[in-house]
Amino acid sequence: MVKWRQQVSKWMMQKLELPADIVMDLPRITMIGQLHIYIENHRGVKAFSKEELRLNLINGVLIVKGNDFVIKTILPEEILLEGKIDGVYYEELNNKDPAQKKTK
Amino acid sequence: MKKFPIEPIYGYVKIGIIGEHGESIINECVARDIPIWEIERKDDYSMTANIFVRDIKQVKQLLKQKKCKIRFLKKRGSPFFLLRLWRRNGFLLGLAGFILIIFLLSNMVWNINVTGADPKTEFELRKAAAELGIKKGQFIFLLPNSRQIQQKLTDKMDNVTWIGVTQKGTTYQFQVAEKEIPEKAKRLKPRNLIAKKKAIIHDIFVKRGQPLVSPNDYVQKGQTLVSGFIGKEGEEKLVPAEGTVLGETWHVVHVTVPLETNFKTYTGDSKKRHYVSIFGLKVPVWGLSNGNFKHSKTEENKTPFRFIKWELPIAYVKKDIRETDGVKRIYTKNEAISVGKTMAKKELQKKLPDDAKIIGENILQVSVSNGKVNLSMHYQVIENIASEQPITSSKENE
Repeated sequence: MVKWRQQVSKWMMQKLELPADIVMDLPRITMIGQLHIYIENHRGVKAFSKEELRLNLINGVLIVKGNDFVIKTILPEEILLEGKIDGVYYEELNNKDPAQKKTK
Repeated sequence: MKKFPIEPIYGYVKIGIIGEHGESIINECVARDIPIWEIERKDDYSMTANIFVRDIKQVKQLLKQKKCKIRFLKKRGSPFFLLRLWRRNGFLLGLAGFILIIFLLSNMVWNINVTGADPKTEFELRKAAAELGIKKGQFIFLLPNSRQIQQKLTDKMDNVTWIGVTQKGTTYQFQVAEKEIPEKAKRLKPRNLIAKKKAIIHDIFVKRGQPLVSPNDYVQKGQTLVSGFIGKEGEEKLVPAEGTVLGETWHVVHVTVPLETNFKTYTGDSKKRHYVSIFGLKVPVWGLSNGNFKHSKTEENKTPFRFIKWELPIAYVKKDIRETDGVKRIYTKNEAISVGKTMAKKELQKKLPDDAKIIGENILQVSVSNGKVNLSMHYQVIENIASEQPITSSKENE
């Protein structure tokens, strides 16, 4: 059932040209150089330290690594993080190894 | 991306959260709609964050549930700022007092300069000005304006023809034009006396020099009356000619007298109103009635307040409303003529030197047109017609 819904949304995204983050409830990440990272559609903070921020997603965890992190603002679905960002990683629920998405 | 623009308006505090599960506290705050920002981790067991003052109670409860401790680190925002300012109210009072003092000092007379007067006149002028209230330390807005000061001072001072009054900031500048009494030339140069205008010689009195005309002679303008050459032929000497030559001269004066004149006279009844003008808007301060006069003349006197060298858009305005009476004066033709005669005489006397004598007057022409009487008067006057003409060196050689 879940798989069938995912497939329908994938089909809608491709055929109707709807933005992926809205249709599939994926996080939208905006970065300004290494200074700021702005993440929408998160599901709460899992862990936070000076060097690492772990955010819950619908199916997985988003990991931001860097130095001198400060959470500038946090709202139910949005978060603005400041500091020196080194990389953003995804960790899927069924797969423990972090799958690399972006590296600086 | 939403921030909290009201942060500085409401007070907020920086708190330290000590204990494990810092992240869960963040999540709880977000879930309960408690704004929280500037979250920073210090070490494994502590974090700092900013929250609003009004949320402190809720956050405290939350921390108790999670078995964390709270430390207040900094108080920020306008309520705390104002509280701090209030605690240092001496400073505030000092600031207000300073501005007030500067304001008062900017509206005071600080300097009175007098130019163009000799020490005696200057002393008298300063005394007269002090009587009007112009002295050091007086408030400028309590003084009459420059034009009125000028008028009053000129009236008071006899030995002065004109006084210019300018007010530059806190300084009053008086420019004086003194009546010049020419000093008599001690050493006179050789000269002739010649006629100022055409006349019939009435009397001649020579102190020095050789008279060339005698009474009842008709002289033209510029004719030599008393020569500076004296002595026998061959032994001629040059002297400065001195003397008085009285001659009968003729003058024509034209005057116009309207038969009907409207006059405005003050009844003596007046009302004063005081305003403070702020950006051109006049706010009445004292004196609310206009006097309900039928005819009146209003005089406005505006003194802007100053701050250091700037003129503030605030000014003190004094309004004088004086009741007037309309009076109509009507002359008959004969009355108009007699009034015209005295007017013409006065006008002539203004033009003549003080020692001149009017010996006869005749009406040349009278005409009435457009409600006006036009009068031409002819006068016979006895006056000194001698005027000095230096003898130049080229003449000397002749």
